[in-house]
Amino acid sequence: MKILFLLMLLFGLMFAGDATIEVIKKVDALPSIAIEDASISYDDTFKLQFFKSLVADLNVISLFNVDRYHRLTYYNATDVVVENKDMNYVLRYKMYEDDSTALNIDMKIIQNDSTVFSKSYKVSRQNIYMFVSHAMAYDINEFMGESSVEWMKRKVIFSRIVGPKKSEIVISDYSLAYQHVIVKGGFNLFPKWANRAQNAFYYTSLDAATPTLKHVNIKTLKVSSVISSDGMMICSDVSRDGQTLLLTMAKKGQPDIYTYNVKTKRYKRETTYGGIDVNAQFMDKNRIIFISSRLGYPNVFSKRLDTKEVEQMVYYGRSNSACSSHGDYIVYKARETSNAFENNTFNLHLISLKTDFIRRLTATGVNEFPRFSGDGDAILFIKNYKNQSSIGIIRLNHNKNYLFPLKYGKVQSMDW
Amino acid sequence: MKSIVLSSVVVALLVFGGCSSKDVAVDTEKTETTSSAEEVKAVETETIAAEESVVNSDTNSLANMSMSDIESKLSTVYFGFDKFSIDSDAQVQITKAAELGKTGAAAYNVKLEGNCDEWGSDEYNFALGLKRASAVKKALIAEGIDGSRISMVSYGESNPTCADKTQDCYSKNRRVDFKLLP
Repeated sequence: MKILFLLMLLFGLMFAGDATIEVIKKVDALPSIAIEDASISYDDTFKLQFFKSLVADLNVISLFNVDRYHRLTYYNATDVVVENKDMNYVLRYKMYEDDSTALNIDMKIIQNDSTVFSKSYKVSRQNIYMFVSHAMAYDINEFMGESSVEWMKRKVIFSRIVGPKKSEIVISDYSLAYQHVIVKGGFNLFPKWANRAQNAFYYTSLDAATPTLKHVNIKTLKVSSVISSDGMMICSDVSRDGQTLLLTMAKKGQPDIYTYNVKTKRYKRETTYGGIDVNAQFMDKNRIIFISSRLGYPNVFSKRLDTKEVEQMVYYGRSNSACSSHGDYIVYKARETSNAFENNTFNLHLISLKTDFIRRLTATGVNEFPRFSGDGDAILFIKNYKNQSSIGIIRLNHNKNYLFPLKYGKVQSMDW
Repeated sequence: MKSIVLSSVVVALLVFGGCSSKDVAVDTEKTETTSSAEEVKAVETETIAAEESVVNSDTNSLANMSMSDIESKLSTVYFGFDKFSIDSDAQVQITKAAELGKTGAAAYNVKLEGNCDEWGSDEYNFALGLKRASAVKKALIAEGIDGSRISMVSYGESNPTCADKTQDCYSKNRRVDFKLLP
């Protein structure tokens, strides 16, 4: 009987891995693409750097099997490089520097010996090359007629812990290749874009006597204080029009969710539970999801802003302490193990509000801070595993995860 | 007359209750003699006040200490895994802190800094740190400290005192620190 049970368990475990097998098959079925470099300016190091960035971006759009060989050619050569003859697509590009030292890039896609798509790009500085690479991948994705990867062109803002009570706020591209430290020194956490245009952001400053929410205009670098609260002060979400903030404050030592009107500077307490209510996110203009300990453990709840009614959203897991939503989907962080003495695993799970569908999105380490992209196509998250902190991207429709490791420090929180 | 006797005994008892532990032993004897002897012992109260001034001189010596020296006498309060309840060990530290808060640190305000172990940088973990600070604040108020002197902040997992991946280390990070403010 025991043997039968073991066999059944083994069988079950084999089936548990089925999703992976399907993905491998899917990858094999993808069309192949090779990249040919026809650059006439710049040294070999930079050429290779750009090539690698392009390979990474093409992988992330998940439409091709990307060839990883860096092959050189002439931009106007009539034939593709001989090794690329059997490829479904060939992407050829030429980088050149003009008199103003701007980086110019021409690119074309060749299919069956004819150019099917071409475009030119220009950026003022060489060191922001990754944004061109992202734009190229974005345009190729559009050309292939796939759903938009708008998020690829958006900037990520994150806080990085560099020591006890020491942090930096960094603006980067989604792959962390470009990084600009915008707030240096002090202890500043939970950055959040203030609007869709990403030209201003909020963050929590813990240097003053009371935790204070600050606003920074990126163009003028003007920093202004918005509101303070004893104990805790976090901007959890900003409405699409940028006019309403969802804050977690603890006015009397009690963490609760508040809405804050940017114009009138008035705030309103939205939750009154005596335990912990945090991490509010807009589902739509009048509805939020948030994390509450009202069941004795953290879990995901929703509330309409015009009523007091609170609804439990997730019925699985005993410790779900972070969430994000888009349409009918909720992604949440669940504690898989509850051990005070060993390493714990936290995974991200996706649920649909219309079905009982649950999908585990990660497998190892501490995966947290899930954030849906504006179009719901991807989820950005923080992964901490074996002393390495990374930002990860999950392509939901392609069942793929990509990790971009941080060179130093630990990602504390982020927004995009 | 009886009421005067009663009230003087109550007053005496109340005042004794406020004495430091060392003095209490001596005072208790006096209380016994008080109750067995004559009723009107207002003088005793004065005597006790005089003894309290000894405590006050102690306070003065503390007052001469720098803020950081006094702060170093405030022990960190530790918490269990995923918990913000005060256990008996934590209560001992809080009682000591409250005594210091009424004496040597009476001139200062205190900031309670809640901290967590490294399992998560999300808001919930910050709220857990805050709940720990809030539990210590309530306990301090229960010990007679004025709530308006206490402010709180949570640093979540961002202010570890220990960075190793060990049980011992995680437990050192689940804590509330006392920071004195002028």
